[in-house]
Amino acid sequence: MAEHEFASAVDDYLTRAYDGDRRRKVLDAEGWDAGLAAELAELGWYSLATAEDRGGIGVPLPDLGPVFTEYGRHLVVGPLLEYSLLPVLVEGLEPDAAGRPPALVDPGVTDDWAADLGSVSLTGRELTGAVGAVRFAAQAGELVVVAGETVCLVDAAAPGVRTEPVDSADPGVAFARVSFESVSAHTVLSDRDLAARIRAWARLLLACELSGLAQGAFERTVTYIGQREQFGRPIGGFQAVKHLAADMSARVAGLRNLCAAALDDAGEASGADLELVSSTAKAHAAEAAVRVCEDAIQLHGGMGFTTEADVSWYYRRALALRGWYGDETELRRRIGATILTHERQP
Amino acid sequence: MESLEEFRARARSWLAEVEPPEVPLDLDERFAVLRRWQRTLFDAGWLGLAWSREAGGGGLTHAHQLVFVEELVRARAPQPIGLIGLEVVGPSIDRYGTDRQRRELLPRLLSGEDIWCQGFSEPDAGSDLASLRTRAVADGGSYVVTGQKIWTSWAHEARWCALLVRTDPAMRKQAGISYLLVDMSSPGITARPIRQMTGDREFCEVFLDEVRVPRSNLLGAENEGWAIATHTLGSERGAATLRRRVELEVALDDAVDELRGHGDLGERARAAVGRAHVAMRVLDAQTRQTTARLLADTGPTPLDSVDKLVLNDVEQTVLAEIAGLLGPLRALPGSRPAGLHSERWAHDHLYSRAASIYGGSAQVQRTIVAERLLGLPRG
Repeated sequence: MAEHEFASAVDDYLTRAYDGDRRRKVLDAEGWDAGLAAELAELGWYSLATAEDRGGIGVPLPDLGPVFTEYGRHLVVGPLLEYSLLPVLVEGLEPDAAGRPPALVDPGVTDDWAADLGSVSLTGRELTGAVGAVRFAAQAGELVVVAGETVCLVDAAAPGVRTEPVDSADPGVAFARVSFESVSAHTVLSDRDLAARIRAWARLLLACELSGLAQGAFERTVTYIGQREQFGRPIGGFQAVKHLAADMSARVAGLRNLCAAALDDAGEASGADLELVSSTAKAHAAEAAVRVCEDAIQLHGGMGFTTEADVSWYYRRALALRGWYGDETELRRRIGATILTHERQP
Repeated sequence: MESLEEFRARARSWLAEVEPPEVPLDLDERFAVLRRWQRTLFDAGWLGLAWSREAGGGGLTHAHQLVFVEELVRARAPQPIGLIGLEVVGPSIDRYGTDRQRRELLPRLLSGEDIWCQGFSEPDAGSDLASLRTRAVADGGSYVVTGQKIWTSWAHEARWCALLVRTDPAMRKQAGISYLLVDMSSPGITARPIRQMTGDREFCEVFLDEVRVPRSNLLGAENEGWAIATHTLGSERGAATLRRRVELEVALDDAVDELRGHGDLGERARAAVGRAHVAMRVLDAQTRQTTARLLADTGPTPLDSVDKLVLNDVEQTVLAEIAGLLGPLRALPGSRPAGLHSERWAHDHLYSRAASIYGGSAQVQRTIVAERLLGLPRG
């Protein structure tokens, strides 16, 4: 299967080139490492799904899923979503000559905290408003802005755009606040479904990344409890520990299988189905990955609470991604509303 | 061989015409109705689809069997009464039995003429099944069997029992067990139904007091019954998981229909349906792997235990979410809170608590996963 080919190549490379000290250093750098971004671009990972005539490899979007799972599993940081997804979906978004990522200015990453995040409105071609949390806006060359349900493109250096970096508690992401004061968009896209499609794919790939985070935290834990000795034997021999590990195993497998099934279904899905499939995967990923990481920390004991153990990094990344494009609580309500109001398919 | 699509279409149109029976609440009536239903299914050629033609089956594949199970559940049709025989005992007899046993027992098992029960668990041998103590002592051409079994579904109505007995108490506990085919009308057998918290009473206790069983009713070799039992319990698990998945999917569809008919739903119903839907998709994704393993005939693996843990969790989540919408009216079986049939959902929710107990408890599954899949030290 092709997607496994890419994913295992990504896994091989990261195992070799992104281990131990380097990863730790990058994780301490607040989510942005220009060297790493350039390296992954050079490897061609960002352009996997980009069409061949635009310099990519042109694999179907669902094949990015297993790659994002490896990103999560290896705690890769940076604008992975922005580099890999936006150029594929957004017409007219050309690769940046300087290698800068695009950023997605979207007040719609959450339902329940929308009021805290801000809003953007579009009048003619003119954008006004502000969004308090935009991933990698300070590093970006081009801004993909969602205003209402319309997507438009703005040069990050255009007059009236203000970008202020803000502190980030997500070890994988640098944030900025972006505001627009009568900014003229150089492109306004007419595709009315584009915003929904961007959000659905973001949800799905974030679910895959969360699946990888859960997998990574779980693997560290199985190794650790097989080695750590107390009372004269490995703690993995105690039933209380074993059973928690078995629950983690079932949860990790369940999430991995759900993501694989969702990617299978997403390739063919229409707008409404894609929305449901992606919300379902993300809702489960948000809950399951956080839970697995919590159990991982528990089984690492005091070490798990320190930054020296990888599991604490997995946990903080999972907590940060949990709410991005919907946590389990808001997505379940959305899913329930969809199912209760739509006609059943035959 | 008939393609799966053609087969599905044929099953669907047959089920649309046949008018499946309503399942009566009264236990004796239920038994009679579901037994007639088994005969109807048998006469139309829908039972033992994957069994060999020599055994009276359809000579098709496991994939056809799965398709039929799906269509049966989707048509809101009940399962035939002899499920234990069809899914567990029959395949064991087919695999380990003598020609005579196969010839005499299997056609009657398929048609529902003979209903089978399964005498495995004992009061002191549940999760630790191999410690069972029901004794069988050879005496001339017979074994003389004495002991007690429990959780034996439909024992009071069954004609035959697949009974695990200890034939050699001196050997290591798994090694001294034999598998007997016991005529339930033999003198010395008493079956007593046990009333469950759901109100159902198809489970029984079975008392065996010096019951004489012909030695020709031994399945496989003496003292080799454990291998038969574990083989069939293992092969049962995948098929049962898949059937349960479809049943849960249909249950959730029914609940959604009832809620929709009610109109005003509220945030609580949306959140509950959302959570139940997510859980169902998890199970669906998990069983895509199960199906692949079943069709590849990989045999029992520790991954079956992962499936079981996922299934338990999903089943209990889905039914707890639906039943949670009954609120205080759960206590009134005749009520319709938010459009939901209180009696049905309260019943199904109670039944879901059994999911993590029967067929190997969740604790036993966790130990299997930890030791055999994760390689943690045996304790």
